Amino acid sequence: MALSKRLKKAQLKIQQMAFMLMALTIFFALVGMFIIAIKLSGLKESAAEVAEENALLLVTRIANSPEFSCGESFGTRKLNCIDTDKVMMLKKNIVKYNGFWKVSNIEIRKIFPVSSRDKLCTLGNYPDCNIIRLRPQNITSEYSNFVALCRKESFEGRVYDKCEIGKIMVAYSEK
Amino acid sequence: MKKRGFLQVSFAWLFAIIVGAFILFLTVFIASKFIKTQQTEISAKGAKEIGILTNPLETGFETAKSTYFVMPVESRIYNGCESYGVFGKQIIKLSQKNFDKWSDTEIDVSFQNKYIFSDKYVFGKKFYLFSKPFEFPFKVADLIYLTSSDKKYCFLDAPEEIEDEISSINQENIRYENCTETDIKVCFSLTSAARCDIEVNYNAKYVKKRGKTVYFEGDSLMYAAIFSDNDVYECQLKRLMKRVAELSVIYADKADFISGKGCHSALKDELLSLREMALNLDSSGNLASLRNIADEIKSKNDVASCKLW
Repeated sequence: MALSKRLKKAQLKIQQMAFMLMALTIFFALVGMFIIAIKLSGLKESAAEVAEENALLLVTRIANSPEFSCGESFGTRKLNCIDTDKVMMLKKNIVKYNGFWKVSNIEIRKIFPVSSRDKLCTLGNYPDCNIIRLRPQNITSEYSNFVALCRKESFEGRVYDKCEIGKIMVAYSEK
Repeated sequence: MKKRGFLQVSFAWLFAIIVGAFILFLTVFIASKFIKTQQTEISAKGAKEIGILTNPLETGFETAKSTYFVMPVESRIYNGCESYGVFGKQIIKLSQKNFDKWSDTEIDVSFQNKYIFSDKYVFGKKFYLFSKPFEFPFKVADLIYLTSSDKKYCFLDAPEEIEDEISSINQENIRYENCTETDIKVCFSLTSAARCDIEVNYNAKYVKKRGKTVYFEGDSLMYAAIFSDNDVYECQLKRLMKRVAELSVIYADKADFISGKGCHSALKDELLSLREMALNLDSSGNLASLRNIADEIKSKNDVASCKLW
């Protein structure tokens, strides 16, 4: 009688301990999951920050990269000058440049002379348009920089250089 | 009775010890995994930051640009290069020293628009980045030379323009006078009395390093050959030629496009031949043959009424 009472008491103690240990394990697992969730959201945030930083640093220099820059096509070498004739050819070959600058899109917008309405440039309507968008997607989060937009024009058989004021916008993904 | 009581207590203890040990093991295991994940995250973020930090090195009017960055702990920056794909890939991997052990990371950060020339890995805390535009015959990219402040280079008997450039970039670990015994000696003349680690033949356009010879065209590729591992150099050169090929297509299309405005350029065929040759370049030894057509294109573009670049 005394033995079975003791055994019952011992079993109860073991059960108590088992429940306690299970509760502890579940508690630590929950804490762990909470920490991982915070870490993952932080990771996403820092990935977005890095993408933003890339866009910010890129926009100040992208106009001088060979796919965009005027070089000496319009007289002497110019800084922050975009050759729009060349950019239209880049737009034609843009599939090859997938992931090249690690940004989601690049847009060049003419801001002076002011256009009455926005018109996207295609090979068919260029230069009677004011927005060159390298990829079809709309631009949401972006950094921009002022640039000169230059191209070759002809009038009565005479070729001349035409430069206007524009803005280059580099879009990055916030996700 | 006494013995049974002893057994009963020891079972409870045994149970607690086994489960306790299991929980402790699990905690230590999770903690170590967590630390490893943290290290991987830091390495991946660091590698990406290094790549992004090179964005301002894009040159405008400048012929060369230099900057530096300091890592919080002793670090190794691995420079990887893959030449397949449209532009190939620049791979950066960062490993940091923690508790006297180098963190092991499998995460590669890649860039298609960067060309970093260095040894297979550079280590230290302070790193120098020096960039110079590469033109072939049009501007192709800005080449970035990555060196550690722990490695000092001394250019012996360098041509005057190279000495001028070195003094203008004012990078602490590159000098051309007052060399010390521990400096890596870059000899431009075989008559140099000092032991040479790297030999540069400026006229024959080759660099001899660790028993291997690589060829260059222009000063930017010469620096690339000096500062980088031979395999890295050959791979990056192939990547650069891939960019030459794609830019040739853009310029050939532009030539067609502006000819419609009365702006004729006779460069289209040459540009397409340059593209073919650039895509077929298998080693720096064949670079001279490409240089001929690049020079021809450059001289035609320089005198054209409508310059393509």
